[in-house]
Amino acid sequence: MKLEIDWTRCDGHGLCAVLLPGHVRLDEWGFPILPEQEFEPGELHAVRRAVAACPALALRVNASRSARPAARPA
Amino acid sequence: MTAVLPRLHGDTDTWTIGAPRLLAGLATAPVLDHRAHVTVHGQLPPTGLEHLLALLDAARLTGRGGAGFPLAAKLRGLVGRRPTVVVNGSESEPASFKDRVLLRRTPHLVLDGAIAVGDSVGARRVVVAVHDPQAAAAVRAAVAQRRDAGRVRVEIIDGGFVAGEARALVRALAGGPALPPGRHQHLTEQGVLVANAETFAQTAVLLRLGARRFAETGTTNEPGTALLTIGGAVDRPGVVEVPLGTPLGIVLQAAGAVDPHAIVAGGYHGSWLAPRADVLVSRAGLAAAGATLGAGVLYVVDGYTCALGELARVAGWLADESAGQCGPCRFGLPALAADVDALYRGDTSGLSRAVRHAGAVEGRGACKHPDGAARFVTSGLHLLREEIERHAHGGCGRPVMGRLPIGGAR
Repeated sequence: MKLEIDWTRCDGHGLCAVLLPGHVRLDEWGFPILPEQEFEPGELHAVRRAVAACPALALRVNASRSARPAARPA
Repeated sequence: MTAVLPRLHGDTDTWTIGAPRLLAGLATAPVLDHRAHVTVHGQLPPTGLEHLLALLDAARLTGRGGAGFPLAAKLRGLVGRRPTVVVNGSESEPASFKDRVLLRRTPHLVLDGAIAVGDSVGARRVVVAVHDPQAAAAVRAAVAQRRDAGRVRVEIIDGGFVAGEARALVRALAGGPALPPGRHQHLTEQGVLVANAETFAQTAVLLRLGARRFAETGTTNEPGTALLTIGGAVDRPGVVEVPLGTPLGIVLQAAGAVDPHAIVAGGYHGSWLAPRADVLVSRAGLAAAGATLGAGVLYVVDGYTCALGELARVAGWLADESAGQCGPCRFGLPALAADVDALYRGDTSGLSRAVRHAGAVEGRGACKHPDGAARFVTSGLHLLREEIERHAHGGCGRPVMGRLPIGGAR
């Protein structure tokens, strides 16, 4: 399970970093640095809370094991 | 920082190493109308999807827009009964001119390929998307000369650097903003196939030659030719057709490179590299040298100009071209440009900041603009480390001549 972000929506509110403190950091401009690793199944509740809390609706959960499809053209 | 703008050509020279394919007929004619096109290239044989895929597989034809994705794979991934084929002739890369040469001067070759591909997949329409009004006029005139171009439309799209990105282009064609979307959706899954203008022209050459003859030049893994845009400190700038795998030294010699100190390869999402004669001009050859063929740009930076200043100038342009949609890019690229500027002014603390900022923007945006910009800047800073030292100790004593173009009409 991975957290994915729509960068065109993210405004750097930073709630995700507050709600997932061990996983999401903020860069020097206040934008989230998302973890590379998958979340544990037990963390689904916390991840969903962060997704719901984002004022810009920029986050979503990708529940599949391999979150990004294999390299494809645009 | 003073800069001298490069001389702007009305007409770009074209020349070749070896026999021309894409540029055939252009040495003596400014533009090929349909009759001249058929005289030079011959009739286009009919084809179907199976045959086309077999040819593309055998010729290992990769895209010529920069990403180098195999056209056959795009065709196979295309869904829908009545897809759309888009010829990407936007050529937003300031240093590149090859697509405009094709569209302005030998548009029928591009149309041959695009219409053949469109027919093979039952396309509802074929759209030729351009920024350049001259290219639009030339393609429209060519369409009027043909009987098979009923489903071809030419669209002029506004927009800057990122507007040429395939997904941004498709949005603009649909009446939306010329901006890459925030969600990662594959165009082929939406029934849209976008490929570079040169890719379609290469397909037309392949259809006529067949795979075996197509592969008589080039390398085993990269058969055929590629179009390069050669510029900067050279006596013979222009759009040049070369067999893939030609050594860089041969290309630079033929172009009359003047005192090459550094090469910008691929474009402004490409890399700086040392002008080693033995680097092969192919996707694999440039990758082995830590660079990229990209959109076929090869610009020579000489010893008369301040290379660090050239890098700073393009870094500033890359920051200006951010669509501004995504925080890391919108803030990170100007920060990166400021870091390069600091190095130009002799402040070496800019180096660690530049490395940090370049690393911070990668993969954190809707498109690959921040990644490409980071790559361009970090490869430049690596190659120019002695220059950085010189600037830290008082400067290099050279003006910024503007060898690397950053916009303006051609």
